[in-house]
Amino acid sequence: MAEENGSNLQQFVDGIIKNNPVLVQLLGMCPTLAVTNSVDNALVMGAAVIFVLVMSNMVTSLFRHLIQPHVRILVFTLTIATFVTIADLVLKAYVFEVSKKLGPFVPLIIVNCIIIARAEVVASRSGLLRSLADALGCGLGFTLALTLLGLVREVLGAGSITLPGWRILLCDPKVFEPHAWVIMIMPPGAFLTLGVVIGIITQIRMRSARGGA
Amino acid sequence: MDIGVLIGIFIGAALVNNFVLSTFLGICPFLGVSRKVDMAFGMGCAVTFVMTISGIVTWLIVHGILTPIGAWLGNPESLYFLKYVTFIMVIASMVQLVEMYLRKFFPSLYTAFGVFLPLITTNCAILGACLLIDMNEIYRASLLKSTVFAFAGGIGFMMAITIMAGIREHLRFSDVPKALRGPAITLLTACILSLAFMGFAGMGK
Repeated sequence: MAEENGSNLQQFVDGIIKNNPVLVQLLGMCPTLAVTNSVDNALVMGAAVIFVLVMSNMVTSLFRHLIQPHVRILVFTLTIATFVTIADLVLKAYVFEVSKKLGPFVPLIIVNCIIIARAEVVASRSGLLRSLADALGCGLGFTLALTLLGLVREVLGAGSITLPGWRILLCDPKVFEPHAWVIMIMPPGAFLTLGVVIGIITQIRMRSARGGA
Repeated sequence: MDIGVLIGIFIGAALVNNFVLSTFLGICPFLGVSRKVDMAFGMGCAVTFVMTISGIVTWLIVHGILTPIGAWLGNPESLYFLKYVTFIMVIASMVQLVEMYLRKFFPSLYTAFGVFLPLITTNCAILGACLLIDMNEIYRASLLKSTVFAFAGGIGFMMAITIMAGIREHLRFSDVPKALRGPAITLLTACILSLAFMGFAGMGK
């Protein structure tokens, strides 16, 4: 039992660092690029994904013996769609402004490959606790990656950090405005930031692999 | 119906707000299936095809089934919570139907699209197009405009992925820094493409 708890913890930590869904596995790229123009968007998106991931992993894991293999993708998709509808309604009710900015990307969680991949790889094969640990790990990994990108893009592009509720200005807007790197909060900045971050991570992994060998 | 409005919608969806490069829909195939020009073009055609059809069908379902039944129950919007589930079901079954239809009546087209069709179900550009149509007042009011929008979105996707594949074919022969090989250099290329597409801003609507 203790050993199994240890492996659950390992599963949780792996999801955040070693198998980070965005930065290492390159899954779920659409929301990663689209909603990271400010920190609060990234955080709300991350929270929605954690909720959907945890719920769908739990449901899939509980029903894993009942789901026939040839209809499993359909069952996964419908489960996810149900929880995304719930998440969307909750976001609309409590954080309407952010939900409006996220636009179609909240319902698009349905086709986010991270969630289907976790249901297929982990939840349909293992018990409730392990699926839960995995969902939390991957969800946190996703949120961290999104927040990192959001932080870089918003600080360089707008000189501020927006959290749900309040906005921190890092410097006087009048001083910052002429030097703002506006392109960072526009679409090309998303591709640029993610490309550079993935490049840096590959470099670190190559170096540590060389050091380890 | 003013033809100018339709042309405006077309240019807007295909160039100004290009699905891949400025709305970030369909990034997965854009990064995954953009190694060779002919594969990218095939994927683009398949996406355009399915996107147009599912745009039309989801519009018809929302306005022909969900709204009237909702109205009959008391409030036209009372069944709108079913939208997402319906959309994803429609797309999944449209892909199946299109695949069967093509195999029966256009075998040559089927062999050309074949591999890409099942992948399309989880392509977020398709669901994204249906959702964007549903969120916009203009498209909600007119089936013709929605159709043009969905078709133009597909064409925009095809353009972006084919251009990307052309660049990547050349990139194979260049000396890319080791750490940037693979997805990183693709993303940086996409950044420059996206900058180029920003030049269209202000055209159309």
